[in-house]
Amino acid sequence: MQKITLPERAGWRDRAATLGFTFADMGGEPYWDETSAYRFTLEEIEQHIEAPAGELHALCRAAVERAITSEEWMERLAIPQTQRDFVAASWRAGEPELYGRFDLAWGASGQTHAKLLEYNADTPTSLYESASFQWLWLEEARAAGLLPPDADQFNSIHEALVDRWAEIAAPDTDVHFAADKENPEDYATVEALAWAAREAGLGAHFTDLSAIGVTEEGQFADSEDRVIGALFKLYPWEDMLRDDFAPYLAPSGCRFIEPPWKALVSNKGLLPLLWEMEPGHPNLLPAFFAADIEDALAGGAPAPQVAKAFAAAEGALRRGHVRKPIFSREGAGVTFVEGGQPTDTSPDQDYVHHPMIIQALAPLPSFDGFHPVLGAWMVGEACVGLGMREDRSRITQNLSRFKPHFIEG
Amino acid sequence: MTVPTKIAARGPADDAMPDALAAPERPRRMRSRRVALALAGATILTLAACEDKKVDAEAFPDLESCLAAAKKDSLFFTADDCNKAFADAKKNWEETAPRYDSKAVCEEQHGVGNCGGDPVAQPGGGFSFMPLFMGYMLGSMLGRGGGVFSQPMIRNSANGYTTPNGDQSFASNRGTGKVAPSTFNRAPATIGKAPMSAAQVRQRGGFGSSATRGTGVTRSTGGARSYGG
Repeated sequence: MQKITLPERAGWRDRAATLGFTFADMGGEPYWDETSAYRFTLEEIEQHIEAPAGELHALCRAAVERAITSEEWMERLAIPQTQRDFVAASWRAGEPELYGRFDLAWGASGQTHAKLLEYNADTPTSLYESASFQWLWLEEARAAGLLPPDADQFNSIHEALVDRWAEIAAPDTDVHFAADKENPEDYATVEALAWAAREAGLGAHFTDLSAIGVTEEGQFADSEDRVIGALFKLYPWEDMLRDDFAPYLAPSGCRFIEPPWKALVSNKGLLPLLWEMEPGHPNLLPAFFAADIEDALAGGAPAPQVAKAFAAAEGALRRGHVRKPIFSREGAGVTFVEGGQPTDTSPDQDYVHHPMIIQALAPLPSFDGFHPVLGAWMVGEACVGLGMREDRSRITQNLSRFKPHFIEG
Repeated sequence: MTVPTKIAARGPADDAMPDALAAPERPRRMRSRRVALALAGATILTLAACEDKKVDAEAFPDLESCLAAAKKDSLFFTADDCNKAFADAKKNWEETAPRYDSKAVCEEQHGVGNCGGDPVAQPGGGFSFMPLFMGYMLGSMLGRGGGVFSQPMIRNSANGYTTPNGDQSFASNRGTGKVAPSTFNRAPATIGKAPMSAAQVRQRGGFGSSATRGTGVTRSTGGARSYGG
């Protein structure tokens, strides 16, 4: 992996505006940034992104299996008591997943294996940038001679989504897409998914999330009173399960995409669960619930059930770890602790009232003062693309820059 | 709805060249051959206004006129369909047409002279009023794997006709046309329930409060926090 300085394509901002990519700049800062790009070899992509992401995905599915058969894990993952059957039933029924994104750290010196930072299993955004605008960048940069003619990109996201929709829904199925229409980033993500659904022969209808209603029959209906049979929601399960309409979820008969069992893996409590199942896995970082090891880090004793795993990871955790709430968006509530001292804290503290997890710090590579995080896109059970974001801070936040990548050699 | 071709883009360099002439390829091509490029952005209309494919429909004021029409050729329904659809529509009307607690309220919604007593007794022994059954509409759902569907028709307050949930109105209860397939979605049942106003959706806004967030800040303006990540 190298960072290469490149000329920007002439007129790309106009092109973005024409295409409706309105958030190429956000908050006065560039969001889409093609003044440089990351270069990978095909071998790097295959060995350090595609293969580990596929393996992590299989591990996450095993974690779901473990969690739904354990009241203790359902509790630790904070699935509301009244919703546990609903969540478990969706897994037992084999409801298929659509997409997700693993955030991986890789490329720091001495780090041979990509490490899972977290799994955006439920409502990952930056899909349009990854699948479409990045693709266009490659095609146009090649045509303009800015990139070698045989440069490729790890990005079959759009085609994979079309195939996946066709696989998981019967032709002509009407799918409603719910998101916050005021948020262009969220809206772009559902639009990218909706185009793929249409290409797969499905009906796609947008509904604003807050306009969803409940009918007399207890079914969900869109803003035009049409009953919702299948709902893609760019809105997290942990909130769906707690909102006013939560009691209608199971009886509504609606099919949800992502399926309810994603609540178990889109939860940062997944990280300690994975570490319990596969301690020492080369693509995992040691992770624990804070409640189990906080005393131990302060000189006391860890919870008995994690004592052995803690002892094995103690050195790494003391060198550095990250505290994060089990629920959080865009880096909110994250704190870095190194050598016992907090060294970086997210300004956004909206989620700090939730249980915390502690994860050993993965060194992030640094290029020109920016730290890239690799977003490995999953469609179905396969890793099909890469979207990179980088930030000056080690906490990737909502204003982090999106960086294109290409494959050469 | 088909995807407009203008949004699909192709990589010019890759697809124009016959395989035999192409330069030696890397072992795997890692990127899509086409993608959807355009976003509608803030103008959410492309998705919202994307109409369902219309289906053929024909309305009749009574069974006899349907049977007479079925004798003609090349229609999407037969005499058997007329009979079955008529029975379905009658039953559907009885189960889903709006119910009111007074004739005056009913006539306000459906016009004077267009209401009658509820043929079905209320659970508590009460009495309610319903718009009269004014015929039925058949829809061809063959292309959608469904056969012939039907809906009862009732009057609306504007001297026209509607299906029971009132969201489609028609000038007449006789004639042919194209309608959205959702016209044939069954309205919620009203049978055995307390008389109600016409509202189908009883509550909105139950999603979106971001229950796990601490501060409870309202999201209503641009620049709102993403629900995604």
